[in-house]
Amino acid sequence: MIFKEKRNETLQIRLRSPLQRHLFRYWQLYLMMILPFFYFILFKYIPMFGNILAFRRYRPGLGPFGTEWVGLRYFKMFFKDPAFWRAFRNTLTLSVLNIVFTFPLPIIFAIMLNELRSRNFKKIVQTISYMPRFISTVVVIAILSEILSPSSGLLNRFLVDVMHKTPTYFMNDPQYFRPIYIFSGAWQFTGWTAIIYLASITGINSELYEAAEIDGANRFQQIWNVTLPSILPTIMVMLILEVGRLLSLGFEKVLLMYTPANSEVSDIIDTLVYRTGLANQNYSYATAIGLFSGIIGLILVSSANRISRSLTGDGIY
Amino acid sequence: MAKVKDTSISSRIFDVMIWLVMAFMLIICVVPFVYMIALSLSSAKAIINGKVSFWPVELNLEAYSKIFTYPNFFRAYGNTIFYTVVGTAIALVMTILFAYPLSKSYLKGHGFFTKVVIFSMYFSGGLIPNYLLISSIGLTGTRWAIILPFAISQFNLIILINFFKALPTEIEEAALIDGIGYFGILPRIILPLSTAAIATIGLYYAVFFWNDWFNGLIYLNTPQYPVMLFLRNIVNGTMVVGNASSASADTAMLGISTKSAVIITSTLPIIILYPFLQKYFVKGLTVGSVKG
Repeated sequence: MIFKEKRNETLQIRLRSPLQRHLFRYWQLYLMMILPFFYFILFKYIPMFGNILAFRRYRPGLGPFGTEWVGLRYFKMFFKDPAFWRAFRNTLTLSVLNIVFTFPLPIIFAIMLNELRSRNFKKIVQTISYMPRFISTVVVIAILSEILSPSSGLLNRFLVDVMHKTPTYFMNDPQYFRPIYIFSGAWQFTGWTAIIYLASITGINSELYEAAEIDGANRFQQIWNVTLPSILPTIMVMLILEVGRLLSLGFEKVLLMYTPANSEVSDIIDTLVYRTGLANQNYSYATAIGLFSGIIGLILVSSANRISRSLTGDGIY
Repeated sequence: MAKVKDTSISSRIFDVMIWLVMAFMLIICVVPFVYMIALSLSSAKAIINGKVSFWPVELNLEAYSKIFTYPNFFRAYGNTIFYTVVGTAIALVMTILFAYPLSKSYLKGHGFFTKVVIFSMYFSGGLIPNYLLISSIGLTGTRWAIILPFAISQFNLIILINFFKALPTEIEEAALIDGIGYFGILPRIILPLSTAAIATIGLYYAVFFWNDWFNGLIYLNTPQYPVMLFLRNIVNGTMVVGNASSASADTAMLGISTKSAVIITSTLPIIILYPFLQKYFVKGLTVGSVKG
């Protein structure tokens, strides 16, 4: 062992510059990174630069970066395109409604779970409520379309047999697109998101509750005056992040729910990019739309992160 | 956790209300699956007459024996198993190889590499540039198109980096002095200490590959379709499950029990493994809360 260290020492003397010494010492770590780093360049950064296609004309077979500069032509085009503005409106409407209706649910759920007396029951509820998070969107939509089926679905049978109404084709009716999107999202993610709030509730000092109890606070008052204020920072961070992701809806779910009949409300920016780009092969035009929403998303997320950092000293990254 | 000592009547009423809401939540989570199982085990006639709710009517296994005769279903199921196993294995190796060096903040360039990872979470290439890249490097139409581009998820990478950072460094330093390089330390010391974290991100990857359908849709040909895409296509009606020519009166209703059987079989691995794995699922959120 002593011999080995000596040999290292002599080598270290020979490698004069500190950088050389550093590389000699840690070359194995650098070697490990080569493949993953190459992965990031190839699959994350080259497509990022591929966005340059938004300013260039694409010709089949002549590479993914297009052939000649056309400047802002495609941007001007979609700014005049009513289909783009419809998609933009739909994206914002769906996102905002989604936040308004689903954001409070995990908070309420976490607080209620915490108030359960039976530890076993709490555990069962918790475990089962995570499960929908791991179910494929395809399965969620397939199950929904069977439950909502106009001929044999549970809901329509209830409406017809018990409420004596006419059956409704929910999945095809534009009026129900947003409620179905929001409800299925709540079904899938309420339990999962509640984990973050539960962790935050667990961290509350129990002396606070004891003090509140001595002051005569009942349980509802304890929730209102101890639990909620204590998890408020977490709620704020989550809300800010949610707003930062305003433009990135569950694209796959919308695509699965999309029908020509409900396109008036279900066409969002991502589905528009998908249709113009991949179905109609207007690559440059679709890239321009995608880049536009990507940049807005970048601005939203990074400012959301900055706000959350300045408010709580804690960002996501 | 707050210990509830209050035994007043209002507190008891509060308890009952919470209990009811939680029970409702449980039912809401479970009922869709119960309904699917009931449909898949019922006869076409019972479904058509609207008799099936949460219990199979005229119990039979016809739907299951049917889907197992469809070559398309079998092939898609096999494909999905392949994508999940190979995809998860590659993803784990790549993620470990990047997470370990990135957990060493004394490494020169550490800041740069971390920034490379984090910036790619904020801004990405978008659908079209990604699609054109995959086709220009010749992956379109090969199985690798839905495996390689998803080899590292930044979220999982950060979980693992934070986990590695939290490991005690003493054993590692001792091993370095003994002349075991990082190539030896990673498999012999670090990985055995990290089984919980690796199981967690491995499960996230496996669920991702199992549930993926969109990438299959845009990159693959029909024989390579994963089972989720098969399911989506039969729900959409763009793919015929079995033999299209044998259209009888109850084909549509047979379709419903068949669809339900596909839904159940394609979700089965997750439902069966779920009780055993759920503790790992949750660990991911607590082990390496997303912070850099």
